[in-house]
Amino acid sequence: MNQIAIEATGLVKTFGNIRALDGLSFNVAKGEIFGLIGPNGAGKTTTLRILATLIKPSSGSAKVFGLDVEKDASEVRRIISYLPEEAGAYRNLSGREYLEFMANFYSLNNHDSHVAVEDAAEISGLGERLKDRVKTYSKGMGRRLLLARALMMKPRLAILDEPTSGLDVVHAYHVRRIIQDYVKTYGVTVLLSSHNMLEVELLCSRVALINEGRVIGEGTPQELKSFHRASNLEEVFMEATKLG
Amino acid sequence: MANGLNNLIKKEVKELLRDPKIMLSMVLMPLLIFPLMGSAMNISTTAVEESARQVTVSLLDMDHGVMAQSLSAAFRVMNVTLVETQATTVDEALDELQNTNMTTLVVIPSGFSQNLTLGLKGSLKVYSVYKSLSIAEQAKTSVVDVPISVFESALVRQAITQAFPGRDPSTVLNPISVSSFSVVKGNVINISPSVLSSLFISQSIGFPMVIMMLLISAMQVAATTISIEKEEKTLETLLTMPISRLGILTGKLVGSVVVAAAGAAASMVGVNYYTSSIFSMLPTETVNLEALGLSMSPLSYGLLGVVMFVTIVSALALAIVVAAFSENVRSAQSIVGFMNIIFVIPSIVLMYADIEILPAPLQMVLYAIPYTHAILAAKAAFMGDYLVMARSIAYISVFTVVLLYVAAKIFTTEKIVTARISFRKRETKAQSK
Repeated sequence: MNQIAIEATGLVKTFGNIRALDGLSFNVAKGEIFGLIGPNGAGKTTTLRILATLIKPSSGSAKVFGLDVEKDASEVRRIISYLPEEAGAYRNLSGREYLEFMANFYSLNNHDSHVAVEDAAEISGLGERLKDRVKTYSKGMGRRLLLARALMMKPRLAILDEPTSGLDVVHAYHVRRIIQDYVKTYGVTVLLSSHNMLEVELLCSRVALINEGRVIGEGTPQELKSFHRASNLEEVFMEATKLG
Repeated sequence: MANGLNNLIKKEVKELLRDPKIMLSMVLMPLLIFPLMGSAMNISTTAVEESARQVTVSLLDMDHGVMAQSLSAAFRVMNVTLVETQATTVDEALDELQNTNMTTLVVIPSGFSQNLTLGLKGSLKVYSVYKSLSIAEQAKTSVVDVPISVFESALVRQAITQAFPGRDPSTVLNPISVSSFSVVKGNVINISPSVLSSLFISQSIGFPMVIMMLLISAMQVAATTISIEKEEKTLETLLTMPISRLGILTGKLVGSVVVAAAGAAASMVGVNYYTSSIFSMLPTETVNLEALGLSMSPLSYGLLGVVMFVTIVSALALAIVVAAFSENVRSAQSIVGFMNIIFVIPSIVLMYADIEILPAPLQMVLYAIPYTHAILAAKAAFMGDYLVMARSIAYISVFTVVLLYVAAKIFTTEKIVTARISFRKRETKAQSK
């Protein structure tokens, strides 16, 4: 069994003459909640998209449980799930229809598919509202539906881009608890990105600080705080960017 | 894979059919519009005839002679009701006419009978009041022409009989008899060409219109299925699902084809009704149209169905390629809307002209546009020209395969995602500097 969930080595990604990633490397162990933090345009989303097989690195390599994201893209897609920062669900389907549609991609038998959808229904906490069309949902309800979709198949790796983006305190709290419970119960590995330093400190076992397409610091939140003699990750980040 | 594809097609169809706009434009519109067009033409033609038949004409007789009485008789024979006015002058009679629903005043001036008896010209005055500018009004006012000419020809015949006793007056009036025939597909038909050409005009306008409208709405459907995934931010998630990119493209295409096929079926039903309404205007009791090959054979219907199908698939593929590059539904729809010009141009040109009579460069341009072939095939279906239909199917299919290849290329590379990313990155970089 491969104990390394993610192995990103020297990732470079250019868009025209913009260098979004500039030799980015990090490893994530199985069962970790690993956080990527950094300012807008640092390269967090680009990194997640490469790992989710949406785009290809210009150079460098990335492996998910030993599978190359470029060469073995279709195998990688079977073991991961990706929640984009700005994601939506099909407006004209009901919440439950959406979950069923997504579950059916995994060639499951009826029973397994039903179990996955029931799990998702519970994670989402939407109850009876799952019968309603997605277009009637609030932003928070939509995000919970999407997170439930991302976790229901118990992927070996869940890639969550800003999982609580745009949510109010109550919804964000609920979402964070779901992620923690899921990792504990099913041993899912989570890679997430966030602007919210408090969230990262609460959730993540380890974090990587990213700036201008490179990792400028890596460790547990505690390690980073003591290294930079900071009282929280926000201060760590400000210190680290000064050094970088 | 097969599972995933099925899953995707089911969802596409479900989603599209739940969109009221698509249901309305693809299925309900052709099902309603064409029969309505056909019946509207029928109803209005019948209405014009009916209203002309019921016309009442006001008569001011200032002559009171024998000839005036004969003229009144001619009106009654032709089923035109005459109401003799009590007015004594033309002005009074016209004033009176304004207050009634009659539209025509016939004035027989004094001396009418005397002149005619003496072999001089008799004069009549006909006043038509226009209350609106419709065809029906025109028909009403022209209704007096028939009785007058009947009366006139009776006078002529009388004069001929007096001048040439024992001779048939018609040999003097029309010394040459002309019989008109139409030759269609080698068959000689006893119908005047003017009757047939009015039929062909309605056909050559009807079919291009149907094809044009169907393609425009089919493209909107396909463009929407792709661009809505971008706009609603569902595409990225879908692309990370365990289904191949080609599977996604196929699912989108098949989903749109299913909906478009419903649209095509609806328009075939609509067109069928429309053509039968048009045909019903012909004097069918004298001509058997089916025996003449002027109605579509089952093979023509079948081939036309195939033409419609490949045309729709090619339009869908084109729309998908376009939509893959646009960021949201609105921009996809406006680009697709702009591309409608490639349907509109052949449709309009071919409504007015046959492709053979156009200048060579224009012919080449038109032949290069695949949708020209769809219209040509529709015309050929009517004439039973299977070769032209087969050629159209072949050309459109080749074009479709090329488009599908391009669409597949876009879907299998990261282009489907990156067009937007690179744009956004540039923006954020610019801001941070």
